[in-house]
Amino acid sequence: MRDLPALNIADIEKSFGAQCALDGVGFQVPQRGVFGLLGPNGAGKTTLLRMLNGITAPDRGSISFFGEPISREHLKSIGYLPEERGLYKSMRVGEQAMYFAQLRGMNKTDARSKLRHWFERLEVDGWWNKEVSEVSKGMAQKIQFILSVLHEPRLLILDEPLSGFDPINAQRVRDVIADLKAQGNTTILLSTHDMGSVEEMCDQVALLNHGKLVLHGAVPELREAARDGRVEVTFRDTVMEFTVALGASAELIRIEEEATVTGERRALLRLRDGTDQAEWLHWISGQVKLTSCALWQPGMREIFIQAVEHQGTDES
Amino acid sequence: MNRLRLIIFREWYTRVRRRAFILGTLLVPILMAILVGFGVWMERAQMEENKVLVADLSGLISYWDEAREAWVPACPDCFPERSHLEYRFAEEALSDDDFLASDYTLMVLFDDGILQHQTAKYFYDKSPALSTESAVEALSTESAVENDLSSAIERFKVKEELALNYEAYKRLKTNVRLVGEDVVTKDGNATGRTLIGFIFSFFMFIQIMVYGMHVMRGVIEEKANRIVEVVISVVKPIELMAGKIIGIGLVGVTQVLALTLLGYIVFQVGGISLEASGLLTAASNEGLELDFETWIASNDSLGFLLDVNWPLMIFASLIYFVAGFFMYASLFAAIGSAVDQESDAQYLMIPAMLPLLASYIVAAMALENPEGQVAVIGSYIPLTAPILMLIRLPLGVEWWELTGSIIGVVVTAYVLVRLSARIFRTGILMHGKKVTFRELGRWLRHD
Repeated sequence: MRDLPALNIADIEKSFGAQCALDGVGFQVPQRGVFGLLGPNGAGKTTLLRMLNGITAPDRGSISFFGEPISREHLKSIGYLPEERGLYKSMRVGEQAMYFAQLRGMNKTDARSKLRHWFERLEVDGWWNKEVSEVSKGMAQKIQFILSVLHEPRLLILDEPLSGFDPINAQRVRDVIADLKAQGNTTILLSTHDMGSVEEMCDQVALLNHGKLVLHGAVPELREAARDGRVEVTFRDTVMEFTVALGASAELIRIEEEATVTGERRALLRLRDGTDQAEWLHWISGQVKLTSCALWQPGMREIFIQAVEHQGTDES
Repeated sequence: MNRLRLIIFREWYTRVRRRAFILGTLLVPILMAILVGFGVWMERAQMEENKVLVADLSGLISYWDEAREAWVPACPDCFPERSHLEYRFAEEALSDDDFLASDYTLMVLFDDGILQHQTAKYFYDKSPALSTESAVEALSTESAVENDLSSAIERFKVKEELALNYEAYKRLKTNVRLVGEDVVTKDGNATGRTLIGFIFSFFMFIQIMVYGMHVMRGVIEEKANRIVEVVISVVKPIELMAGKIIGIGLVGVTQVLALTLLGYIVFQVGGISLEASGLLTAASNEGLELDFETWIASNDSLGFLLDVNWPLMIFASLIYFVAGFFMYASLFAAIGSAVDQESDAQYLMIPAMLPLLASYIVAAMALENPEGQVAVIGSYIPLTAPILMLIRLPLGVEWWELTGSIIGVVVTAYVLVRLSARIFRTGILMHGKKVTFRELGRWLRHD
């Protein structure tokens, strides 16, 4: 049981009329940890998340939930915070929270005590009797987040959970996600465009584009694999001095015009094929006032853009 | 099942607790009571005292009473005591000026010519008041005076010309009243009962229309609030749709029950106060005071109320409301799910509303001819039956007609709910797309 993946998504296909939303998508989401589901708009992420929630069914392929074919029975073990989310305006905050908790199969007593805990933790405890129409957007977001974690789901699906939050509340939610990850009882599937969050929180990611899986793996491994010989250097010369010194020894990809308060500038270079890195470093150190030099590791943002553009080039 | 119950309760509770619902429900009977009360008050305010001077130039119906030193009617029974109407007799007419200066409101000139042409002229300065009694009897001053004078001259003729005993003549005199009876239902007063049917039909039309629109608005609101995705990740779309329809339908039932209860209270209180007012007198014997129910039974224009088979009427209305509401509300829910805002729903609503509007128009026409072919056929067609069968029902329909019609409506409701659910589950998650009928057809086929 421990080794079974939380989700085993196998060869999923889904079309809406002539439009193919998912085309042979398959990957596994391991138990516990945070799994990032990435992709540009229209990549098929929401369709896949809706399948996990039983809202739509695949045309082909299968999804297993902790080893069992996923069904509506599993819905009570899943928490879902969709990107498109809202609350009933004609209800009070507390009664609405109770309503959703009971819809999730919780009894009243359990729901009330757990809600009290979460309302205190996310600092919405004074809003129990307020009408939803009186509640600010951020406050409503926190209530929606609570409703998705309240029933202690085994799989928590969060679609852009931080959108709409101010930095303080966004950090509060990040902390909750980190706690859930640390407790190890919940597998979190995080769909987001915020690559900072992905690097910070996700252990593994899957990247969809045009309904296809274009990238899948652990975040550190993906970043490591994405190294392409680029070098990042910092120096204390002017841009002109550095460019002249560099000459044809390396391709200058990016250079910062503005120096930092310590007078440093940063540049990203790609050495010519066949260049010995150690020799080049020795040589350039004699030409300019070099303060640091390291092999550049791309962030998830670069990996995302590269993968999507690469697929676009392939398809064209 | 538990989830469906939760949805139903939420839909019902969040609506019935709204101030608008409570005020609307309470205000309807209160406004009606105020309206009726105002009408009665207006009527009473208009009921002026009528003091009639009968100038009996012929001496046929009055004589000089030495003891009372006044002209008195030869037949006191012919001039019964009526409220707001008082007679005085004289052997001569007053001049116009004297009449205007007097407190008489009417002066009837009664001369020998009455025996030839049965016409007496009356004079007034103001047109006589509408009624001598309450609206209950609805007898105009003119008619009352005509009746009384006719009785008086009749007495004269019977006694003087035929030398018969007038009391004996009155006993022999027979007025034939025509009372209709339906050979199937054995009931009379078809017009009154058609009116009852129409009231039920109209109410059904309003309830289905108003609460059907509530369902549509509820779906659009849920979609616009972006809450629907959370809900249908927990419940099936058909559960959500059914919960919404049942919950909102129950709001309608709650309102009907509340109105029935309030109406019953108003009826009872009104009956008691009418009894207390002494206005409920038997038409044949004005001195005899009646209780409210007996008065209704004895009243020509209201007696039909007791002929209507109320338990059947209420039972059938309930079934037709439930099935009819499911039929139309599911259509409205499907339409609501297919659009982003109410204004987009207009053209999709036309085909859904047509049978409803058509049945109301036919119902209005059926007031004239409830057994007409259009109404009869319409009462068999499931989409129009909930409204059109109700207008026919008080007049009596064959059991197979009613049973067949109900089965048709229930089956159609079931089919429409299933079809609408297919549209609903696709449409509810669709945003920013203008939906065409062709698209809806695709959703229907889409499994």
